[in-house]
Amino acid sequence: MRLIILLSGLLALILAATMPVSADEAELRAVIAKFSEAKKFSQTEAVIEELQALGDTDAVPTLNALSDGLLQVRESDGAVFIIKGDGETVDLLDPLTREAAGTAPGADLRKVKVKNSIRRLIADVVSGLTLRARNSAVRLEAAETMFSRPDPAMIATLDGVIAEETDAGVKTAFMQARAAAVLQSDLPEADKLDAIALMRDRGGRDVLPILTAIGASTQSDAIRAASREAIASIEESMMFWDAGQNILYGVSLGSVLLLAAIGLAITFGVMGVINMAHGEMVMLGAYTTFVVQEFIRTSAPWAFDYSLAIALPLAFCVSGAAGLVMERGIIRFLYGRPLETLLATWGVSLILQQAVRTIFGPTNREVGNPSWMSGSFEVGELLITTNRLWIVVFSGVVFAILLLVLKRTRFGLQMRAVTQNRPMASSMGIATPWVDAFTFALGSGIAGIAGVALSQIDNVSPNLGQGYIIDSFMVVVFGGVGNLWGTLVGAMTLGIANKFLEPYAGAVLAKIFILVLIILFIQKRPRGLFALKGRSVEA
Amino acid sequence: MITGFLFRALDRKAILVALALMAIALLVPLSNLYLPASHPLHVPTHILSLSGKYLTYALLALALDLVWGYCGILSLGHGAFFALGGYAMGMYLMRQIGTRGVYGNPVLPDFMVFLNWKELPWYWYGFDQFWFAALMVVAVPGALAFVFGWFAFRSRVSGVYLSIITQALTYALLLAFFRNEMGFGGNNGLTDFKDILGYSVQARETRAALFAATAIALALAFVICSGIVNSRYGKVLVCVRDAESRTRFIGYRVEHIKLFAFVVSAMMAGIAGALYVPQVGIINPGEFAPANSIEVVIWTAVGGRGTLVGPIIGAIAVNGGKSYFTAAFPEFWLFALGALFVATTLFLPKGIVGLVSGGVARLRTGREADRIEETLQPEAGAAE
Amino acid sequence: MNERLTRSLLYLDGVSVSFDGFKAINELSLTVEPGEMRAIIGPNGAGKTTMMDIITGKTRPDTGTVLFEGSVDLTKHDEAAIAQLGIGRKFQKPTVFESHTVEDNLELALKRDHGIVATLFNSTSADQKTRIEEILDTIRLTHRRAERAADLSHGQKQWLEIGMLLAQDPKLLLVDEPVAGMTDAETVETAKLLRGIAGEKAVIVVEHDMTFIRDLDVKVTVLAEGSVLAEGSLDHVSADERVIESYLGR
Repeated sequence: MRLIILLSGLLALILAATMPVSADEAELRAVIAKFSEAKKFSQTEAVIEELQALGDTDAVPTLNALSDGLLQVRESDGAVFIIKGDGETVDLLDPLTREAAGTAPGADLRKVKVKNSIRRLIADVVSGLTLRARNSAVRLEAAETMFSRPDPAMIATLDGVIAEETDAGVKTAFMQARAAAVLQSDLPEADKLDAIALMRDRGGRDVLPILTAIGASTQSDAIRAASREAIASIEESMMFWDAGQNILYGVSLGSVLLLAAIGLAITFGVMGVINMAHGEMVMLGAYTTFVVQEFIRTSAPWAFDYSLAIALPLAFCVSGAAGLVMERGIIRFLYGRPLETLLATWGVSLILQQAVRTIFGPTNREVGNPSWMSGSFEVGELLITTNRLWIVVFSGVVFAILLLVLKRTRFGLQMRAVTQNRPMASSMGIATPWVDAFTFALGSGIAGIAGVALSQIDNVSPNLGQGYIIDSFMVVVFGGVGNLWGTLVGAMTLGIANKFLEPYAGAVLAKIFILVLIILFIQKRPRGLFALKGRSVEA
Repeated sequence: MITGFLFRALDRKAILVALALMAIALLVPLSNLYLPASHPLHVPTHILSLSGKYLTYALLALALDLVWGYCGILSLGHGAFFALGGYAMGMYLMRQIGTRGVYGNPVLPDFMVFLNWKELPWYWYGFDQFWFAALMVVAVPGALAFVFGWFAFRSRVSGVYLSIITQALTYALLLAFFRNEMGFGGNNGLTDFKDILGYSVQARETRAALFAATAIALALAFVICSGIVNSRYGKVLVCVRDAESRTRFIGYRVEHIKLFAFVVSAMMAGIAGALYVPQVGIINPGEFAPANSIEVVIWTAVGGRGTLVGPIIGAIAVNGGKSYFTAAFPEFWLFALGALFVATTLFLPKGIVGLVSGGVARLRTGREADRIEETLQPEAGAAE
Repeated sequence: MNERLTRSLLYLDGVSVSFDGFKAINELSLTVEPGEMRAIIGPNGAGKTTMMDIITGKTRPDTGTVLFEGSVDLTKHDEAAIAQLGIGRKFQKPTVFESHTVEDNLELALKRDHGIVATLFNSTSADQKTRIEEILDTIRLTHRRAERAADLSHGQKQWLEIGMLLAQDPKLLLVDEPVAGMTDAETVETAKLLRGIAGEKAVIVVEHDMTFIRDLDVKVTVLAEGSVLAEGSLDHVSADERVIESYLGR
């Protein structure tokens, strides 16, 4: 029983903490209603100040609407609304909750007039209100806004909230915003030096222009020295973050390479088949995604967020089937003749490209990102886009599943047996031709899955595959043939190396450099990073 | 000893082909220039230009065949040597434009003026002289092939690995030549040529002369290749293709054997490129595209690799087909080309020449085809 | 030790090589004198082929000394250089140049300048042609000289390969399973042929066929697990307990 009381008490506490606690709503409404009588600017100002006195952030939308000229009075009854749309009739929104409140003809509405001085007043009031908002996230955001648009006039306000603030994180943000404002003000040198020290502790790319500006404009040597020193220190830490960002981009590129190459690691690495149509298997996967999305758009728009999940198995089947047909129809006649295989599969790639071009047209087709793959977020100074993050995760999952299939399933066992000793596997009763066929289909199917992922970040066109084929071969050859882990390391190394070179050399030169590096590397270790050694492989 | 080489080079077949090419070099331009347009044997200028282009392709295919057909090195980057030769010639032609360019700069080509360059880059020096450009046409591809081959063959990179890195090589060059900073005209390449050796490149006579030069170059290349493959060196090339280890164990330096063939082949490809550029009037980075190089491989395969006539027939036949298809059924050309790749590898491993010459033998015993497949495998089980 | 070194044509001492942790050759020591014929036997995986790979420069040993004619360090040379020094090798699976004629195969193997210029321009001299005739006669392929090597029977390919070895005029011949897949009559002939070669040139024969070894009637070295197990006449080694164990014991 006591437990229940305790729990409900806790629950109440949590609810209390999370629910927006507002000043009396009626009180707010009463003040807002006064805008209908405010005919002169001075009267409007008075109402704004009254709202400020209430100290409730719920008034912020009303104030912003006022500033934008959207707060209007219905002449017929003097009620105040935020309006939406224009023309003969406009939509009316409740000034507080912003819920729809019917419509009104435009002629029946009167704008509450504002001028620039009032807009400035509103801006001050709004920031003052948000700086004191109950929700700490709102306060933090307000501090960030003030930091990016420092205004010496706000120093006093900031001093006030700093003194009241209890949340340490928000307090620091306020101090930083104040420091930014101080640097723009004409306060004495000592204050500015303190501000620079604060800025330096904050760090980050957006601090640099502020410090550079103050260093350039100041008369004081001490300030100039301090800002220079602070810039150096920040740049040093930025280098660290930049390196982190490069690694992140590199991992992202690496996982794209991994996705593109991993199917090849099976067909080329495990089976020794040079499949020049591998890129087209990727392309088929991407077009499968396009077709699935088209279907969803026309017949089940609500399912759009699931389109990729639907496309994945389909793409695997489409590309896998294409691979199966290719193996049975062409490649099996060419085993042991790798150069011929290369040429024949190149022919297939041309046919597939042209087929797709004929069916879908030569231009890029639109493949959308589901909502859960859009957007981006920041960790420290690192910018992470959601779709890239998903691709990293996805390539990791595909890699892990493939590894499991190879190491833990009966099919994987048969596959390895055939690779290592074909006649022996055959005499053990393994149907080697079908193992070959399904291995090839597996590699192709995985290329199709890669196509689904790549459709999210690349143009879906008939040439999609061509862009990946050379890179994929480089990854497999670099990592070492016949070794999935080698492919992983190869893809990540090439991705990261590429992104580290890019800032210095530019994207194209970086790529050329990497290609040359791999060409040299293959001279040194013709069989890649993780190659098997010994008599058997050299034969 | 040169006479011995020539004696071996000019076997009956080589004499026939060389004579035929010389006759073409003489008769086609004459018919174009002096026969009236109404005459049934008159060769119109556009056909002359088109055939001239085909002959440069034939020379390129012959070059590839020397390394692939005879030595088993499948280069997927021969387009790079072709394009480098073409660029060397293009640079000469650019310098010949002089003040007739859009910007009228006597030294700088238009694109450099456009990029606000003030001086000619050092690697453009000398290209106002034809002899220098002609030297570079063979020297640049040759040097690249030498450096690349030196490393690749010494480290015994072979088979598909070599194919893949030759493809990477041409891809890297493609990316590099697309850059404006390289100083080769970037995306647009080199074009708007005016003169070659003082004659307008547009003039009918010049076109006829270029055609004749191409046919003669092809004839010469054919004789040289014939000499090479009929010498003991040529036999060793085939040994390397069929059983590399064995060749090593009887004391041949396989890497030198391969390197020599690779460099000679690259130089021939460079000459082909140099003859190609004035006839088509443009060279751009697209020539470095990996797809182009692979297409050369299929010309050679269709004609019949490991024979000298094969690549010439293949290049002309496939490109003739391409011209016809792209005009008549543009949609279907890539289908046809793709099918050609598949069909040739599956059903015609010895190409048209093999089909014709081996037809009788094939009828007699089914073993012939099997054997061809066996011998075409590079080093299948040569070492235990 | 020194005396052994200077007298020997081939001298291996303490040679080891391993592939991914597997010791293919383990502290192997072996000497072959000029003109000597030596038979090497041993169970599968004893390191016979790897030993040949080391002598001919295909595989580099991890440790150990490999000297030819008392002074030339074979580990410093590659296959082509070692072949030119005078070591010829016949593979287990007969490898001849199948698209060339029998005669061309021999001509290509002849000992002479193998440089690019020489191969491009030099013709075959009368002396060299005589030598080819002799070898054709020795390997009994004169009547098939103009045929492609691919058309030969398995045994004839083996003989052609031995003929190519002779054309190289080596000081040492390494012969890997020369009678594999041969008829009994061919086997006897091959033994005769090899005995004829020995004396003038040193020969190392690796073979499983005990009748053939007995026909050769030479000193036998038994390899097991990468090192020498026993050495001596065939009767001597076949009486050795450890040899019996390594062949039959498992």
